[in-house]
Amino acid sequence: MSETAEHDFLFASRGDGRELGAYVVAVDFCRASGAAGFGLGDGSVHIGPAFTAHQAHKGAVLSLCADVTSGFLTGGDDGKLAHTGTESTVLADYGSRWVEHVAAHPEGVRAASVGRALHLLDGAGKPLKSLAHPSTVAGIAIDAKGKRVAASHYNGASLWFVGAKEDKPRLLEWKGSHAAIAFSPDGTHVVTAMQEMSLHGWRLADGQHMRMSGYPAKTHFLSFTAKGRWLATSGAESVVLWPFFGGGPMGKAPSELAGGDDVMCTAVVCHPQHEVVAAGFGDGLVLIAEIASGKVVPVAPPGKGGISALRWNANGNMLAFGTDKGFCGTVDLAKR
Amino acid sequence: MTDQVPVTVLTGYLGAGKTTLLNRILTENHGKKYAVVINEFGELGVDNDLVVDADEEVFEMNNGCICCTVRGDLIRIVAGLMKRREKFDGIIVETTGLADPAPVAQTFFADEDVKRAAKLDSIVTVVDAKNLAARLADSREAEEQIAFADLILLNKMDLVNAEEAAEVERRIRAINPWAEIIRSTKSDAPVTSVIGRDSFNLEKILEREPDFLSGEDNHSHDTEVLSVSFKVENPIDPERFNAWITQLLAAKGQDLLRTKGILAYANDDRRFAFQAVHMLADGDYIRKWRDDEPRHSRIVFIGRDLNRPQLRRGFEACQVGAPSSNYEAELARWSPPS
Repeated sequence: MSETAEHDFLFASRGDGRELGAYVVAVDFCRASGAAGFGLGDGSVHIGPAFTAHQAHKGAVLSLCADVTSGFLTGGDDGKLAHTGTESTVLADYGSRWVEHVAAHPEGVRAASVGRALHLLDGAGKPLKSLAHPSTVAGIAIDAKGKRVAASHYNGASLWFVGAKEDKPRLLEWKGSHAAIAFSPDGTHVVTAMQEMSLHGWRLADGQHMRMSGYPAKTHFLSFTAKGRWLATSGAESVVLWPFFGGGPMGKAPSELAGGDDVMCTAVVCHPQHEVVAAGFGDGLVLIAEIASGKVVPVAPPGKGGISALRWNANGNMLAFGTDKGFCGTVDLAKR
Repeated sequence: MTDQVPVTVLTGYLGAGKTTLLNRILTENHGKKYAVVINEFGELGVDNDLVVDADEEVFEMNNGCICCTVRGDLIRIVAGLMKRREKFDGIIVETTGLADPAPVAQTFFADEDVKRAAKLDSIVTVVDAKNLAARLADSREAEEQIAFADLILLNKMDLVNAEEAAEVERRIRAINPWAEIIRSTKSDAPVTSVIGRDSFNLEKILEREPDFLSGEDNHSHDTEVLSVSFKVENPIDPERFNAWITQLLAAKGQDLLRTKGILAYANDDRRFAFQAVHMLADGDYIRKWRDDEPRHSRIVFIGRDLNRPQLRRGFEACQVGAPSSNYEAELARWSPPS
C-alpha cells in the first residue's frame, strides 16, 4: 500500500472528514437517519453529515453504538449512560464508576456495563435488570435476534437471556482475562479476545472450546462476515480471518489479507452483506478487501493517526472511520 | 517513547497516611495534573473528575509463570485515560493497605498497550514511624511494601523521638537500603518531592550507594527480606547476561522482589539499565558513559532466601573474559534439568 498515490484512495474523491482533536473511541450509524455518529475522548458525540457536536459526557466517551431506534447510546467516564440524537440526554447515572461498554438492539434492549454489573434497559430507558458478574465486565455483545447478551470477564464469559424470569447465566469458562466479545451471526458461537494475545471461542451447542492464537498484539476488533463463514480480527500485521466452516476454526490455519507493510492492523469490520472486510491500520491506512480474491481497494491514506474506530452502515455503501489523533471520516461507496 | 505518562504506585499500611497524601495531591496548588486511581471512593473527601474508582482485580497471566499476576482493572483504566483529550502530568495508583505491590508494578511490564502509554515512575510507600515495628512483626505485606519501594515517606514523625526514628530507619534500611527516605508529619512532604520523581530511574537509585554497604554482610537478622549488590569492573557480555538473568528470574523470580542493574556492555558506549519485578524484566540504554566515570557494572537484588555467593559468581561470570566453563556452570545452576 505504501506506494499508492494519494488520488488512488477513495477518500480523495468520495470522502468527507474533520479533524476533531480528541481520540475517536467508536463510530456507528443511526438506525433512522443513516448518519454517522462519532464518540470522542473529550466527551463529545459528532453526528454527520455536518459532524454536528453534542457534549454528551463531562470526561471521555468510553463507548458508543447506534441506539435502539435512532440516535446514539454512549457510556462515559463521568458515570453516565447517555442518548444523543438532536440533543444529548442522560438515561442513567451510575455515580463514580465508569460506563465502559454499551450495546443496543432494535428489539428494544440497551445494555451498559459498569464495573461488575451489566445493566439492561428497555427502549424507553426504563431499567429492566442488573446482572452481576464475578469480575469487571470487559466486553458485551447482543446476539442478532436481541434475545441474549454475553459479557466477558476474568475466566470466561456469561451468557444471559434478556427476557428470562430468573437470571442465571450460562457460564462459558476459560482461564484468563477476556475482553472483546462477539456472537456469530446465527448465534451458535461466542468468541472472545484474551489478554494473552489469543482468541477463545465456544460452540454453544456442545460447549466445544476453540483456541485461536499467534497474534503479536491484543485483538480489539472481532467481526464475523454476514453469514458467519469468517471471523475477521485485528491484532496482527495483516487482517487475520478464521474459517468457521468445513470443521474450522479447529485445526485450520487462518487466512491473512492486506499484510506486508509491517504495520499493525488495529481495526476490522465485515461488510453487512458480502464477504468483504474493511480494515484500519496503526498508520491511519484504511482499506477494504474481498476475502475470496484477496483483492484490496485503498480507502484512506496513512497520516492522520492510527485507526481506532471503523464501521459500515447497514446498507454497506458507506464506511466511517476515526483515528486516535481525532480525525473522523466517512467514505461513500455507493455505485455511481 | 517520551510521551509515556509517568505512573506512581502508592502503597502503605492502613492508617500510615496515604489518604492524607492523596487529598493533598488533589487539592494543593502544585501546578501539576494527576489522575488518581483509588480503590474506595468514599475515603477521599474530594470531588474531582480525575479520581478513578477501581476494583483491585488481580489475575494470573497464562504464560506459565505462576507469580506473573497483573491488575486487569489498571489495563482498562490506563486505556480509558489515554482516550481523554486532556493530558496528565502523571497517574497515581493507590493500593489497599494489605496489597502486594507486585501485580501493580507488573502490569506496567506485562501489557503492551499499557507499556506504550505509561511507564512506572516510582513505587512510593508511606510508613507510619510509630507503628512500623509492629506491622513488620505481624505482616509479610508490610515488609514487601518496603522492599518494593523506590521512595519511602516516613510519616508521623511527630509521634517518635530521635532514637525511635533512627531505629525505624535502620529497620527500613535493613530491608531496602536503596530507597530514598523522606521524613514527614501528617504526610506534609512537598507533593513534587514525592510524586513524579522518576525514581524508578535506576541510574539515580544505583548511584545512591549506601555507605554502610561497604561491608560484605548487610543481611539483617530481624527481617526475612534482604538485599545484595555486586559490582564488576570488566565489561559485561550482553548475550551471557541475558541468558543468565533470564534463567535466574525464571527459577528464582518468586523470591526476587526487585532486581535492578546498570550495565557496561562490551563495545558499547552507552549505559544499559535493567530492572525486574519478580520474573518480569525490562531494560533499555539510558545514556552515554561520561569520560570521567569508571565503566563498572552493578546489580542489586532485593528478595528472600538469596544466596550471595551464587548470585555474585553468576554476575561475575557474565564479564567478558570470564572462563566459559564458569559461565556454563552458573547458567546450568538456574536451568531446568533437561
